[in-house]
Amino acid sequence: MVPGPPGTRSAPPANAGRAQTGRARLIRRRTTNGRGRSVGPRPLALPYLFIAPAVVLTATFSLLPLGMLAWRSLFAGGVFAKSLSYVGLQNYSDALSQGGTQALRVTAIYTVIFVVLTMGFGLAIALLLNVNVPGVQYLRAPFIIPLVVPPVATALIWGNLFAPSGFGFVNRALGAFGLPQGNFSSSPSLALLMVLTFGIWQFFGECVILYLAALKTLPLDLIEAAAVDGAGPWRRFRHIRWPLLRRQTVLICVITTLAGLQTFTQIFILTNGGPNGATTTALFYIFNQGFVQFNTGLADAMGVILFVASLVITVVLVGFFGRGARRDV
Amino acid sequence: MFKSRLRSRALIYSLLVLAVLIVLFPLVYMLGTAVKPNYQIINLRASLWPSHWEWHNVVRAWDSAPFGRWFVNTVIFSVGATLGQIGSSLLAGYAFAMFEFPGKRILFYVLIAGLMVPFTIVIVPVVQILADLHWLNTYQGLIVPNIASALGAFLVRQFYLGMPYELGEAARIDGAPEWKVFSRVYAPLATPIIAAFAIISFLYNWNNFLFPLIVVNTTNMEVLSQGLSVFQTQFSTDYDLLMSAALIVITPILVVAVIAQRRIVEGITLGALQ
Repeated sequence: MVPGPPGTRSAPPANAGRAQTGRARLIRRRTTNGRGRSVGPRPLALPYLFIAPAVVLTATFSLLPLGMLAWRSLFAGGVFAKSLSYVGLQNYSDALSQGGTQALRVTAIYTVIFVVLTMGFGLAIALLLNVNVPGVQYLRAPFIIPLVVPPVATALIWGNLFAPSGFGFVNRALGAFGLPQGNFSSSPSLALLMVLTFGIWQFFGECVILYLAALKTLPLDLIEAAAVDGAGPWRRFRHIRWPLLRRQTVLICVITTLAGLQTFTQIFILTNGGPNGATTTALFYIFNQGFVQFNTGLADAMGVILFVASLVITVVLVGFFGRGARRDV
Repeated sequence: MFKSRLRSRALIYSLLVLAVLIVLFPLVYMLGTAVKPNYQIINLRASLWPSHWEWHNVVRAWDSAPFGRWFVNTVIFSVGATLGQIGSSLLAGYAFAMFEFPGKRILFYVLIAGLMVPFTIVIVPVVQILADLHWLNTYQGLIVPNIASALGAFLVRQFYLGMPYELGEAARIDGAPEWKVFSRVYAPLATPIIAAFAIISFLYNWNNFLFPLIVVNTTNMEVLSQGLSVFQTQFSTDYDLLMSAALIVITPILVVAVIAQRRIVEGITLGALQ
């Protein structure tokens, strides 16, 4: 019942392994041609040369730093300190007591609201764009614009829209409707709201595109059959499309969650983590401790916590909700 | 029946148009504020749209900061990193799909493990490594750490797993060395997938803010995003100037986005749903 992934060019891993052993035999056999003349050296070094740039650079700039992060989180010392002293888990408890707990709470609140609203809006727009109505395809492009233009520039626009008193559009609109105006950079909850609305505006186009691609893979005959049987749009969605989309929903949820956990730009531009840490997420905490306060140990400890948290969330999402479809994720 | 269908179409159109208007509103607002005469901004009762278009604001913004230099830096960084990602992914993906060699499985896991480590989490140690290499405030410091793309290599590998090995046989029998078989026969076949990957990779690098922020900190090495954030701290209440600067930074990418729209959508889908 579950439709295949959109790019079904890829062979299943099991077959791929067998095909490659066949290939290896071919390479060895074909290094000499029919008349016994060598047509080139056995490509033994070649595969290593080919993979070297990607593998070496990944090891140097992803895996080595991850190791350093875990190792150095156990030591005290500044960014460029030469001598380190072992402090055990002191950095972790310090990080949690010095604003880290709040940062994790802010991250959780931000990410949950961000994921729910981004995916909700994304799915709604994708469903509308998926309807077979002439001209609808031209309305797709605007939704990718927030996603691709530089977020620093659009965050500046946000700062302008939410500017205090009558300078910003939002406050002017609130005033026009006789509602109380707010100062979006000095009130903790309003600051978080400002940062959140930007995040949703900026990223939900990704969900639109991904859900639209997923909807295109659904079997039309099933939906038409339901329509013939008298199922309305809502029931067709609830009982046919939604269950069929489960695998893609899990995947989009993972992507959106990781994006939410890594929110940085608008926080830096709009609130700088304030007021009073109300918009300091775990990543912003890492940045702040690492490069502003120079408490590298705290930054490293928080880095490990955030890494483990992202890994656990991904595994839980895929494991619990993507069961039966794990092969493809 | 016909009438209700017409009504639901009208509803779909109007909902979508409303959504498009909401999505594009901030950009329109930026344009309106950028070209607004200053007296209109100070006057809180003035209309949101400029009474006349004051393009001089944009010139003033351009002259207030080294945008030209930042633009060149951004091009060097994003083009360099993207070319590196394409090259390294193409080579690694091809080798992992087509050859059998000792240690292949472990080396592949090393690459895939890279996918699991978001770069944002390891920024502190990465800067320490770059400092040890004396690569802070250099182009290589910006570009080299971004060259490896586990996603790119994975996509290319998936693509070549579906390609027959026999495709290169004619060239091999003619005595072409393996790297030539790759560059002449197989690499060109990957053009569509590379194009989709290249555009999202380019946009990602162009828009990357956090990485340049921690790697370079001198005005003549900064990239556009970073320069713009400095600009903001200098002119925090000059809304017309700020929006003009945002306009300068957004316009080139907006043009790219409109032209390459189809490829961008392909790239996003490819990157996620594999």
